[in-house]
Amino acid sequence: MNYEWDFGAVWAYRQMLLTGTLGTLQVAVVAIAAGILIGVCLATMRLTHKPWLNYPALWFTEWYRNTPPIVHFFWAFYALPVVLKISLDPYTAAVLALSTQSGAFYAEVFRGGVLSIERGQWEGARALGMRSSQVLRRVVLPQAAQRMLPPFMERSFELIKTTALASTLAYSDLLYQAMQVNTITFRPLEVYTAVAAIFFIALCALSLGAHQVERLLARWAPLAAR
Amino acid sequence: MTMDYVWDFSVIVQNYAVLLKGVGMTALLWSIAFPASMAIGLVIALGTGSRHRPPRLLGRAYVELFRNTPVMVQLIWFFYACPILTGIQLSPVSAALAGLILNASAYCSEIFRGGIASLPRGQWEGARALGMTSAQVLRRVVVPQVLVRMLPAFTNRGIELCKNTSIASVIAVQELMYQGRALSSVFYRPLEILSAVAVIYFVLIYPGSYLALQLEKRFALRRA
Repeated sequence: MNYEWDFGAVWAYRQMLLTGTLGTLQVAVVAIAAGILIGVCLATMRLTHKPWLNYPALWFTEWYRNTPPIVHFFWAFYALPVVLKISLDPYTAAVLALSTQSGAFYAEVFRGGVLSIERGQWEGARALGMRSSQVLRRVVLPQAAQRMLPPFMERSFELIKTTALASTLAYSDLLYQAMQVNTITFRPLEVYTAVAAIFFIALCALSLGAHQVERLLARWAPLAAR
Repeated sequence: MTMDYVWDFSVIVQNYAVLLKGVGMTALLWSIAFPASMAIGLVIALGTGSRHRPPRLLGRAYVELFRNTPVMVQLIWFFYACPILTGIQLSPVSAALAGLILNASAYCSEIFRGGIASLPRGQWEGARALGMTSAQVLRRVVVPQVLVRMLPAFTNRGIELCKNTSIASVIAVQELMYQGRALSSVFYRPLEILSAVAVIYFVLIYPGSYLALQLEKRFALRRA
């Protein structure tokens, strides 16, 4: 155990790791945004009582929830272009794989949040003369949003960790850049430890932030927390 | 866009043995990693729930470390970085198992912690008052009751673990995803082969999801 750690080699290539961190950040932010859109669409389809909307959404979510993310990455990059007859760059393929998969999970979060509001609230608000869309916007969503926040954040953290798989498509995310630094410096221990540390610090900071937001929300609207 | 692509699944039929071998390796990884993660998870949970400070801090650090870094980084770390520190080169399978077990055990310990916390303190005190040691209380009173409540969460963890085994392909463990990638680069039929791999994963994982849902429904009814 007399290995001499030398982070100097990693520090010398910090620019590459920074590029990778930005690459990871970009793919994560875009995929979360696209995932929310897909999730809202799927949840809306699931909440209608029309079978031709409900079942396709149900099978879409089941499919993505029950297959490994890495398969979606490879499928989007190697198989989808065969169907579409256009080749996708690694970035697009990664965003596609991440957003469809997280969209399926977000859909369950959104649907669960809306369903968790008791029927009495719908009925009461309808009795006051509100339309369904008004009930949803004014009564249900403000309360449901607070309940959705913790599972939503949890899914988003999963997504951020899953971005590391984009390196398998040679997308220049943090892990891929680290692999490049490793081939130059032959310092895998320091390089991969640095990658783990960057993810660890970023995710810990984000989860502390999320806790603060949850606490603030609970103070503003203590009723909905029940 | 013209859809004149000719599907050809014969490549799957001819090479089913290769994929089957991959399924075997996936099953092997899962069936070693899952019980091991539960056992280590229980030990960590006892650490985080301890009255003493050092095991509590150590347990928390372990859980946070493995939950806040990607599994893929963990597997790569164990395969490429760990040998330099320890001087022992792990085989791809052992590195994958090490990463998968350490990762899943961090999540399992959280399930145990939640389960144990859900049991009223009075049960511990009552059992202790009857003269049982802490280990006996845990084995005879806590675990039998709590295990049932934790079943849905453990089923979900098993599903996540099965999905995570596919990441072992990046360190050349010859499980299902690896075999699929190998076949698709040899025969250049990525659409058919990767679709087949996805379907096989779905068939392996969906029963677990279904079970978790049924368990959740049952316990929700009992609580109501």
